[in-house]
Amino acid sequence: MATATQNKIVAMPASEGLWASFGRLSRRPEVGSFLGMIAVFLFFAIFAGQVFVSPAGFASWLNVAAEIGIVALPIGLLMIAGDLDLSIGAVIPAASLTVAIISGYYGAPDSVGIAAALVLGLLVGFVNGYLVLRTGVPSLIVTIGVMFAVMGLTLGFAVMLTGSTSTAIVPDAISKALFGQFIAGMFQITIFWWILFAVIFAWLLHVSPYGNWIFAMGGDKESARNAGIPTERLTIALFMISGFCAAFIGVSQAMVYQSAQVAAGQSFIFNSIMCVVIGGVLLTGGFGSVVGVVLGTITFAMVNQGIFFTTFDPNLGSVIIGALLLVAVLMNDTFRKMALSYSPKSKK
Amino acid sequence: MNNLDIGYLVRRPEAGSVLSLVVVIAFFVIFGGVHLGNLLSAASWVNFAANLGIVALPVGLLMIAGELDISIGAMIPAGSMSIAVVSGYYELPIVVGIAVSLGLGVLVGLLNGILAVRTSVPSLIITLGTLVAMQGIVLTASVLITGNASVPLNAPEWTKMIFGQLLGGQYQVIILWWLALTAIYAAVLHQTRFGNWIFAMGGDKESARNAGIPTRRLTVWLFVLSSTSASFVGMCGAILFNSAQVSGGMNYIFNAVVSVVVGGVLLTGGFGSALGIFFGTITFAIVNQGIYFTSIDRNWSSLIIGIMLLVAVLMNNTFRNMALRLPPKKL
Repeated sequence: MATATQNKIVAMPASEGLWASFGRLSRRPEVGSFLGMIAVFLFFAIFAGQVFVSPAGFASWLNVAAEIGIVALPIGLLMIAGDLDLSIGAVIPAASLTVAIISGYYGAPDSVGIAAALVLGLLVGFVNGYLVLRTGVPSLIVTIGVMFAVMGLTLGFAVMLTGSTSTAIVPDAISKALFGQFIAGMFQITIFWWILFAVIFAWLLHVSPYGNWIFAMGGDKESARNAGIPTERLTIALFMISGFCAAFIGVSQAMVYQSAQVAAGQSFIFNSIMCVVIGGVLLTGGFGSVVGVVLGTITFAMVNQGIFFTTFDPNLGSVIIGALLLVAVLMNDTFRKMALSYSPKSKK
Repeated sequence: MNNLDIGYLVRRPEAGSVLSLVVVIAFFVIFGGVHLGNLLSAASWVNFAANLGIVALPVGLLMIAGELDISIGAMIPAGSMSIAVVSGYYELPIVVGIAVSLGLGVLVGLLNGILAVRTSVPSLIITLGTLVAMQGIVLTASVLITGNASVPLNAPEWTKMIFGQLLGGQYQVIILWWLALTAIYAAVLHQTRFGNWIFAMGGDKESARNAGIPTRRLTVWLFVLSSTSASFVGMCGAILFNSAQVSGGMNYIFNAVVSVVVGGVLLTGGFGSALGIFFGTITFAIVNQGIYFTSIDRNWSSLIIGIMLLVAVLMNNTFRNMALRLPPKKL
């Protein structure tokens, strides 16, 4: 039982000594992902030429990065806390279809459809968290089960209600402006949502006391609980956040493409995990940063989209991503060992 | 353990999977109005189960040992593509194609295994990396070499007999391979010391190593086994259908994991059985393919699979707790 006594755990100011020494810098989780991003950017700037560094080139990968990024952020938090969530792959199309069926097919106001979709995401997240806590089964398996179930429910209800697996929606002016707008004709508004989400998550993980709790949980759940951290509530909250973010992407996809399909979303599962790992988060938990996750997402999206501007076969993109992932993983491993073996500097 | 004691039976890892198989069939018969004979003799799910089962068995062994291999999703198309390129496009003898196809499996398995034992990175992430990389390599290579994402292959008679025959016009010969492999896995896992080692590793790797079990070598070999099995399935597919397709391996990842878990294996390792995985695969295949024989809309099959998995997970946990608490029988 989680005790209600929540000892205030004093947050260590994360920014302190950021530039203090190179040794310290190289131990930060985002260094590897930053270097990777620079390397990938230079690679494509050279091989893809002018197009890649033009606004259109930036837009192409930023649009992709924003969609994955909003999902990758909560996945990163979950992974830092030592859990995984694969059900997002089913929540994204489920939310998309919910808003399309309620607001498009039945013609209810957009706000009702959007609210329903977001609540659906929170609900799935709650189920995930609750099952993980109650059963003690690894979240990988639990969320695979929930993924299949949500997928089946989405398919079943979509066909039962509308007779088809894809539904059209014409967003009204406000929701179009909020979720489906293209700024300057090419930058999806999702990019700004992503920035907002990233700032909130960065505050959550690195400034607020919850961040320390998340790290503590990922490091050692048992000890974290003994230290008075409400691990159960926190786990459920994290799963609900990730369900919410997935639903958010589902809603914004429906608004951008003006239609919702059952089959969208599967690719998000592994893509978001890869972004997070390239961003320096350890799957074993307790190590990572929001900046790292953002950089990892950018790297992933650059490779994913940049390859189309080059003369290379587009399929080479996944070879690069796979290689990046393995390199990132090996580097993270080394960095983590360095971080753990690092003796704190004596006060200057 | 010839004792037909209910307490013992219910505590065996495969009890849950047999139970869920019975429940699923009963559900289909009662609510789907399916004719039992038609369902059980249908080739569609048996073929599906055989292909899935050959991959699910080594994946299950890995899970018993506490590891995970999702690179199988790329190894199935890789196995099928490599034999088609070598023996179909370059027209080398089929034996060379088979060797290249299986050799590729061994190679990727070695890479997975060595990375898994040398680093402290979870095998999920390592195999995710090799999954994506292999996908890219297979696609790029096939497009670069043949200019096409689908390569024809004309296998000689005898290889068709062994790997790609249709028995009775509809049952793939791979079913026999599956049955034989299940028997072999069951024997190895439950009768030999290797099996004991695998269970010991999954239970507690550190202690297993201290007890003198070569955990590293064993882990590497298990990874080799799973990715070679995957390329074997891909190879058989290419021989059967006379062509190799690059797409369509990704579904195997989740399908195999679900089959294994429904079959009573714990992801945390140390608990499971080959027979359980066998029944888990059958259950999965019947839900996935058998639903076409029922009056139930096939779109609900994912929901059934999801619920089945969650129930299986809950039951496995209960069974395991029961198994751990069971007092040893007096002889």
